[in-house]
Amino acid sequence: MKKYILKRILISLFTLLAITLVLFILLQLMPGSPFNDEKLSDDQRAVLYAKYGLDKPIYIQFFKYVANMFRGDFGVSYNISKNTPISQLIAQRLPVSIKIGFQAVFIGALIGLMLGIIAAVWHNTIWDTLSTIVSVIGVSIPSYVFALALSYQFGFKLRWFPMLYSTSREFYSSMLPSISLCMFTLASIARFTRTEMLESLNSEYIQLAESKGIYGFRLIWRHALRNTLIPIITVLAPLIVDLMTGSLVVEKIFAIPGVGSLLVTAITSNDYNVVISLSFIYSAMYIGIMLVVDILYGVIDPRIRLSGAVNE
Amino acid sequence: MTGCGKKTDTKTAGGKPLNVMIEVEVESLDPQVAQDGTSMEVIADFTDGLKQMRADGSVTDALCSGESVSSDGLTYTFKIRDDANWSNGEPVTAGDFVFGWQRAVDPKTASEYAYMLSDIGQVKNAAAIIAGKMGVDQLGVKAVDSKTLQVQLEVPVSYFDQILYFPTFYPVNKAFFEKCGDSFATGPDTVLSNGAFIITDYQPAAVSFKLVKNEKYYDASRVKLSGLNYQVIKDSQQALLSYKNGDLDTIHLAGDQVDQIKDDPEYKSVGAGYLWYIVPMIQKNSELANLNLRMAMTYALDRETIVKDVVRDGSTASFSSVPNELAYNTKGEDFTPNQTEFSGVCAFDKAKALDYYNKAKAELKKNSFTYEMILDDTTIQQNVAAVVKEELESTLPGLTINLRVEPKKQRIQDMQDGTFQIGLTRWGPDYADPMTYLGMWVTDNPNNYGLWSNKEYDDLLAKCTTGEFSQKPEERWTAMKQAEKIMMDDAVIYPLYQQANATLIKSNVTGIEFHPVALNRVFKDTVKQ
Repeated sequence: MKKYILKRILISLFTLLAITLVLFILLQLMPGSPFNDEKLSDDQRAVLYAKYGLDKPIYIQFFKYVANMFRGDFGVSYNISKNTPISQLIAQRLPVSIKIGFQAVFIGALIGLMLGIIAAVWHNTIWDTLSTIVSVIGVSIPSYVFALALSYQFGFKLRWFPMLYSTSREFYSSMLPSISLCMFTLASIARFTRTEMLESLNSEYIQLAESKGIYGFRLIWRHALRNTLIPIITVLAPLIVDLMTGSLVVEKIFAIPGVGSLLVTAITSNDYNVVISLSFIYSAMYIGIMLVVDILYGVIDPRIRLSGAVNE
Repeated sequence: MTGCGKKTDTKTAGGKPLNVMIEVEVESLDPQVAQDGTSMEVIADFTDGLKQMRADGSVTDALCSGESVSSDGLTYTFKIRDDANWSNGEPVTAGDFVFGWQRAVDPKTASEYAYMLSDIGQVKNAAAIIAGKMGVDQLGVKAVDSKTLQVQLEVPVSYFDQILYFPTFYPVNKAFFEKCGDSFATGPDTVLSNGAFIITDYQPAAVSFKLVKNEKYYDASRVKLSGLNYQVIKDSQQALLSYKNGDLDTIHLAGDQVDQIKDDPEYKSVGAGYLWYIVPMIQKNSELANLNLRMAMTYALDRETIVKDVVRDGSTASFSSVPNELAYNTKGEDFTPNQTEFSGVCAFDKAKALDYYNKAKAELKKNSFTYEMILDDTTIQQNVAAVVKEELESTLPGLTINLRVEPKKQRIQDMQDGTFQIGLTRWGPDYADPMTYLGMWVTDNPNNYGLWSNKEYDDLLAKCTTGEFSQKPEERWTAMKQAEKIMMDDAVIYPLYQQANATLIKSNVTGIEFHPVALNRVFKDTVKQ
C-alpha cells in the first residue's frame, strides 16, 4: 500500500509540472499582454516587461517560475492587485472559498444521502417521488438561480441573512451561498444513493442478511449503505474540488472574496501569475482528492486494497 | 503583516459614514503605481497633492499654499502648507514630493502612469529617466527648502496645474516608504494619510474596506462624513437590491436597469468622460482613404437611436471629437459647449449619406464594399456594433459590415498593429484639456490608429503644445478649435456617444462630486443627514 501511495504521489507531481508547462504555453497563446494599455509608450512597456521578467524567453520564465514555486513564491499580481504576492492573495481568498465549499458539500452530501436512502427504502411511494422531484430541480437549475432567489427572499425581503458576504459575520453571511451551492451536490448524491441503494437492497447478500434476521436500521446502515458509498464517493470527489475552488457567479452575487472570481478576472486581464498559480492549486487539489479517494476505497472496501496489493 | 508605522488615531467625530459601491477591487493604494479610476478615487480619499478639483472640475490649491511661474513658463515654484501633516505626525515636505515624483519615473517602479510626468507634464528629463538613460536624481524637481518645491519643464505646459491632482504626482514620505519596503501601501499600517480620510481596514484586492475621517487634516472642518465604507459589488442587480435595502448610499447601475428606475428622484446620470467612436483605417485601406466614402458612413449613423435604444444609461450622442464638460478656458467656457457644433459634418442625414456614397462609388469605380469592424466583447459594445452595422448597411446599399468580436486586449493590439479596417473604440481623458483628445490625431501618435496625417493639423497642434501659442491661452484655444474642425471635416473618426454612468444617490446624501477626469468621485464636501 505504501509503495502504491508513493508511486501515486510521484505521478501526481509530474502531472502538476506538466500542467504548469501547458499553462505557460497556453498563456503565451492568449491574446494581448498584461500591459498593452493604449496609453503606454514602447519604452514604458519595455520597462514593465523587464520588471516582471516577461522579456525573457518562455523556457527561462518557466524554469524560474518552477524554481520559485518550490520556495512557495508564486510571483506577484500584474494588475488585479498590483505587486501583491500571489501567495498573499490566495492565502486571503482560498480559505473563504474552501469554507463555503465545504459547508455546501457537507449540507449537500448529508441531505442528499438521507433523501436517497428514503427514496430507496420507500421506493415507489410519495417519498420517492418527492425525492426525485428535489433531485431533478437540484440538477437542472443552476446554482446562481438559487443564489438569486435565496438572496432576494431571505436577504432582501425577509432580511434573515445578509445579502452580501461580510467578514464580521462570516458564518451567518456564508449560509445563503452555501445553500445555493449545495443543491447540485444534494441532487446528485440523492440520485446516486437511491440507485445504488436499490441495487444493494435487491442483492443476494441483503436477502441473506434478511434471512438471518437483520432488519431495519442495522440492515441499511451496516450492509446496504456501506456498499452504496463507493460510487457515491467517486461522484463526490470532483464535486468537492469544484465547490472548494469557488463559484464565479455565486461569488459575484454575494460579493464573496473568494478565488472563483479571482481566476476569471485574472484570465480576462492577462494576470498570468494569478492564472497559473490558481490553476496549479486547483489541479493539486483535484489530484490530491483523487488520491485520497483511492485510499478511501481501500478503507471502505478491503477487496480493493487487496487487489491493489496483488497488482504490485 | 508587521506594521511599519505607528497605529493612527482612528477616533471619529460627528457625521455618518457613507456606504459606497465600487464595481472592481482597488488595484493599488500606491499613488505612483495605481492606474485605474477606482484606485485613484480611494488614494485621493486619504491623500492630497499640490492641487485638487473643485466641484465644477476646475483646479484649486490643496497642499500648495502659493505658486509662481517663471516668465518662460518653464519653472514652477510651489510653497507647501505649513499645517499639512502626515498621519504619523510628520510634516509634508517638498522632499516628499521629490521622492514621489522620482518614484513615478523610476524604471524600478515601472509606473504605468509615468507618462503623466514625461509626455503630458513634460517634467525635465522624465522621458530619459523612464527610458533608463538617466538616473532619477536628474529629474527636474527639487526641494529648495523643506516647504518649497521647484519644478523644471522641458517646454511650457499650459495645463500643468490641472494634472497635479493626479495621484501620480502625490507625495510619498521617504522614511516611511523605506521602512515598509515591499509591503508599502498594502494595508492600513503601510500607508500614510495627509488627506481627508484615513484607511483603517484594508487588504489587497479586498471586497470591502473602510476609511474614517482624518481629524488632523488641515481642512478637517470641511469634511462632514465620519468615514467611507467601500463595498465591491460586481452584480448590478444585487447592487440595486442592496441600495434599496439601505446597505449602500450610492451605486452604479447597468444600462438595462435604467428603465426600472429612471423616474426615481434619486437617479442621476453623470458624465464619465469617455468618448466612443469608430476609427476607419485611412492610410492602409485605399477605399477608406476616400473622403466621400468616410463622409457617407458618418452621415449614415443615427447616434440618437444608439443612445436612446441601445446604451440607455444617460449617455449622450456625440458629434465632436472632444467631450463636453471636460475642458474650460480662462473665461470658464466649455471647449465643447454642446455636442452639436460639428453635427453639420456627421449627424444622421440619409440624403447626404447617399449623395457622398454615390460620389465615392463613382470615384472608386465600385458598387459594393465589404469591411470588417473589430470591437470589444462586452455586451453593450456588441449591441452598439449590431446597430451600427444595421444603420450603415440599410442607409448605404451595397455596403457590408462584418463584425469581429475580440477581447479588449486583442482589439487594442490589432488597432496598434494597424491590422484592422474599421474599429470601435473609446478614449478616456487623462487631464482636463482638449489636447488629451486632439493630441491623438497628430501624425505618428501611437493612438492615431487610422494613421491619418495632415500637415496643417500637425502644425497647429505643435504651436499649441510647444510653439508660439503655448503661453497664450486664448490663441491656443482658438487654434485647437481650428484643428478640431480640420479633423472633423476629414471624418478621421466617426464619433458615436459620450458615456455616462447611471447612478443612484440616497436623498439624504448631498455633495458627492463626480468628475470625468482623474478622480471619478470626491467626498470631501459630502454630507449624509
